[in-house]
Amino acid sequence: MTPMWRLTLRNALAHRSRLALTWLAVALGVAFVAGSLVLTDTSSHLLDAQFRTTSAGVDLTVRSAAAFNSAMGVEVQRDPLPADLTERVDAVPGVARVRAVAAGAGQLQVRGRTVAPNGPTLVGSWGEAPFTAYALRAGHAPRGADEVVLDAATARQQRIALGDRITVSATTSHTLRVVGLTGIGGQEGLANSAVVLVDLPTGQSLLGLGSRVSSIEVLAAEGVAVPGLSARLTAALGTQYAVTNSQDAAAASADAAKESIRYLRIVLLALAGAGLVVGAFLIANTFGIVLTQRARELALLRAAGATSRQVFGSVVGEALLVGLAGSAGGTLLGVGAARALRGLARSAGLALPDGPLTVTGSTLGIALAAGTVVTLLAALGPARRAARVAPVEAMRASEPAPSAPRRGRLTTGWVLLGLAAPLLVAAGWMRSIAGVGLGAALLLVALVVLGPVLAPRLARLVGRPVERLGVPGRLARESTVRNPRRTAATVTALALGLALISFVSVLGGSVKAISAAGTEAIRADLLVQSSGEEMLGGLSPEVVGRVDRLPDVAVVSRARFGHWLDQGATSALAAVDPVTLPEVADITMTAGSLSALGNDGIVLAASAATERGLQVGDTLAMTFPRDGEQLLRVAGVMADESAQALSSRYILSLDGYARHYSEDVDATVYVKLMGGVDQSRARAALKAAVADFPNAQVRDQAEAAAGRAAAIEQVIGLVTVLLGFAVLIALLGITNTLALSIVERTREIGLLRAVGMTRTQLRWMVRAEAVLVAAVAVVGGIVLGLGLAVATLAALAADNPVVVSIPVGQLLAIVAVAVLGGLAAGLLPARRAAQLDVLASIATQ
Amino acid sequence: MTTIPAITPIPAPEPTTPGRATTDHTAPGHAAPGHAAPGHAAPDPTGPIAARAVDVVKTYGRGEAAVRALDGASVDIQRGRFTAVMGPSGSGKSTLVHALAGLDSIDSGQILLGDTDLGALSERDRTLLRRERLGFVFQAFNLIPALTAEENLALPLTLAGTRPDPVWQAELVQMLGLGARLRHRPAELSGGQQQRVAVGRALIARPELVFADEPTGNLDSRAGAALLTFLRDATRSLDQTIVMVTHDPGAASYADRVVFLADGRIVDEQVDPTAESVLSHLARLDAQVGG
Ligand SMILES: Nc1ncnc2c1ncn2[C@@H]1O[C@H](COP(=O)(O)OP(=O)(O)OP(=O)(O)O)[C@@H](O)[C@H]1O
Ligand SMILES: [Mg+2]
Repeated sequence: MTPMWRLTLRNALAHRSRLALTWLAVALGVAFVAGSLVLTDTSSHLLDAQFRTTSAGVDLTVRSAAAFNSAMGVEVQRDPLPADLTERVDAVPGVARVRAVAAGAGQLQVRGRTVAPNGPTLVGSWGEAPFTAYALRAGHAPRGADEVVLDAATARQQRIALGDRITVSATTSHTLRVVGLTGIGGQEGLANSAVVLVDLPTGQSLLGLGSRVSSIEVLAAEGVAVPGLSARLTAALGTQYAVTNSQDAAAASADAAKESIRYLRIVLLALAGAGLVVGAFLIANTFGIVLTQRARELALLRAAGATSRQVFGSVVGEALLVGLAGSAGGTLLGVGAARALRGLARSAGLALPDGPLTVTGSTLGIALAAGTVVTLLAALGPARRAARVAPVEAMRASEPAPSAPRRGRLTTGWVLLGLAAPLLVAAGWMRSIAGVGLGAALLLVALVVLGPVLAPRLARLVGRPVERLGVPGRLARESTVRNPRRTAATVTALALGLALISFVSVLGGSVKAISAAGTEAIRADLLVQSSGEEMLGGLSPEVVGRVDRLPDVAVVSRARFGHWLDQGATSALAAVDPVTLPEVADITMTAGSLSALGNDGIVLAASAATERGLQVGDTLAMTFPRDGEQLLRVAGVMADESAQALSSRYILSLDGYARHYSEDVDATVYVKLMGGVDQSRARAALKAAVADFPNAQVRDQAEAAAGRAAAIEQVIGLVTVLLGFAVLIALLGITNTLALSIVERTREIGLLRAVGMTRTQLRWMVRAEAVLVAAVAVVGGIVLGLGLAVATLAALAADNPVVVSIPVGQLLAIVAVAVLGGLAAGLLPARRAAQLDVLASIATQ
Repeated sequence: MTTIPAITPIPAPEPTTPGRATTDHTAPGHAAPGHAAPGHAAPDPTGPIAARAVDVVKTYGRGEAAVRALDGASVDIQRGRFTAVMGPSGSGKSTLVHALAGLDSIDSGQILLGDTDLGALSERDRTLLRRERLGFVFQAFNLIPALTAEENLALPLTLAGTRPDPVWQAELVQMLGLGARLRHRPAELSGGQQQRVAVGRALIARPELVFADEPTGNLDSRAGAALLTFLRDATRSLDQTIVMVTHDPGAASYADRVVFLADGRIVDEQVDPTAESVLSHLARLDAQVGG
């Protein structure tokens, strides 16, 4: 070990209390990164395992053909298979055994209460090994119309015993007796799901299949090659059926389920990145301050013959040590973080499977590298400044004044700012989201560069009221202004976090406003909606029938949703009943009419028609899961507000929908009551009528709006909580900077105390400084967040009018939390300062 | 207070006009106080007591490494007098004035400021007492860098939430010759100017007692003499009580009385000292301590 390295090591150890918060910042950021990776790896892994287990022993699966397998994380539903297909499959040479399967999603009620697992409730027909991995743990297999077998995990959680009655509903609803409890592939059940197994006829009835089946599972005979058999089956059955290797089918299903996890991963890593960036400011500040305090020592080293490159190396070495130690600690914390993140994500309504955590080598590598690289990059600036310390400074009596930012740097900053601001405005105006992104990036760089100039000015302005505190306030303000670079780094870090939070909050508020836009066009008295808020609806068609039969009900009209491919890109459409819809909603057509929809037409929102240059009578090519690409006749164009009311820019008739989709579930049932009927009485009657379909929720307009808002709010809430983490690191930065500058100002503090500043006054002085820094960050952050949100909303609005809804209450809450956070961040340094011994402080060199 | 007795202003930044009798500041030992200001009678050595230390013991460290910085020190500080504290390095001078000024606690004995027993006060009360009834001038680093000279001057009062009496402040500024420098920060002031601001700050609240620990230690002889003259005149014309620690017999000669410390105890004292008398006294002490 060279002497320089020994010195580096000794320095890092000697300054470990000063570096402790830096370590913590790195560790927290890395923990977030590692936690995100572990969580998403685990979820993918569990989903893979789950789908593999359920089709473990099967060679081939026969289903109806579909143009695409899944969209937006949802597997498309396929047409049921005709009853006689099972025999045809069985007759193909090389097939040893076949099993007809009824399977789908449903709901489960126990003792009048809905069992809502985090994931789906799977309804299926019972099968024995080797077809399935079901393994009875108690009772017997389901036989007959009133028997059901439940997975052991759900039974345990819901305290369901053999002999209990449960209500299972899908297309129809049945009350069944639990006759067996099963494990699945050695496990008690499936992660996140409830599994309900009945015999095939009961399954067909529950799922509304009639005599048809969902799929056919095939076992190849001894010695028969599976690919060859697959080809022969395909040839024998024809192209309307798809024969898939079961493992491929499982992988495809898993992929569909994992799509949302991929999005989650991107979001989590982006947020973790924000935490790391904020941490980088803290790291840079710590190194900057510690090195300023050690300037004399560094100068002595230089005077004793150390080259500036050696000094640089020793600082970078110290950063490397801190980075490695922090990353190691953070990686260890990552497993705990993954658990915490899973809890958070679930409480925000994301279905993540439960199970043991998966920690991969690449997770460890990425987490360690991320933390170390960020620390090193952050320490580069301070290291370069340290290397510039001249040997003569060893002889200098007083601390050098903090260096002013250089002219070139300032010019760059102003130029960048001058470019960014108009770019953002122009990009917003021209609806270019890429332009907004570029402008935002430029703006951030400009603000980081200009921080040392802007932060003190802002501090002077914002600090006016602090002066009311008298001398302590005055000194607090002075001290934020005195060291611009330091204040700027602390402020920028916090402002960044707050900007992101206010950005998300404005975006969320506006999305809510957009989702509510046009809903005044809906005139229905009541709505029945699926409680899951799932895109593809979930109400059994039985629901609409039951509602329709109620005497108080005048009109029912239902709406469904579906995915389609628009030249390869997933898009959504709604299907309505052209006859009844006008009775429950005011739809404004600008051309053509709803009644012209037929079963081959489509109505476009005006904006979509303009984008595509389509008019009534033209055709639009759309790819549907069931029947692939089809040409639809444009039957009409509706006002954008009407499209917003229906939550889609592409509208089919229910008849058309039935041609292109196998799904048979409703998203919303609009209900218009007879004149003079008491709404609350009608509502009670509706509720009673659909009571055995637990996901059917009867709502009035306000509740429907709240339901839409709730889903958005949950996501916004999750993102805000996770961004709060970056803010926490930034607040740690305030604590850290203040604690370090207390060390620097020891003598001054001793003097103030000697002259008669009480401990209370001293504590307020330090806290006021912390609050002031936080307040400056609040002003900067919120202005920045608002600006970027407005530009983004403008860019995203495309041809629609720009809707900006500023959630004032939330923003005020952000202000309050940040300022209180600043106060809290100042507590520790304030206590430290107050504990300083008066005389010892004065004697400090 | 309606009339403020005139005392010698300190010329600043350079002495321009000679003061009345104190023309030659640089001549060591010339300034026996009694002769310097003929208008004033020689002070009465047995005046009322402003502060009193009784059998004060102060130990630093523990066990083997314990140092008895004060070892039964007893001293009376007379009101309206300029008292110098002298003694060899490490004899406990700083410790004594720190204890008297309530900056440090003591192990045993008693410190009385007027009727107030410092030992009975809480930390907070001692702080309030410091800013209301005491002033302190350190050897260096007396000023808050972020505040202007004027703000530093008023610091004890602004900390207490009050403002200085403008007449008194103007008077002090004029006497200390700081008029042109009030808006400057400490970094823009010379060492002598900084110390004068510090003295002004010690006096701004009209404290009962002012302590100064080697206030001229970092000044050249001219600036030092100006400051000492000011301190002495303050005792004369303002009836201010001042206790000053010094190494310099010349500085001690400005005082009305010198007390000598050795090994944490008062070993001797001298009234109306001159530089020569202090020097010979110290020599005698050294011989005693050494022998
Ligand atoms: N904080 C401390 N910790 C330990 N010992 C101390 C401390 N302060 C003073 N001492 C010791 O107490 C003794 C008296 O110190 P003090 O500072 O009062 O001496 P002094 O007379 O002012 O000396 P000088 O003329 O050098 O300023 C010395 O031996 C000193 O080493
Ligand atoms: Mg001393």
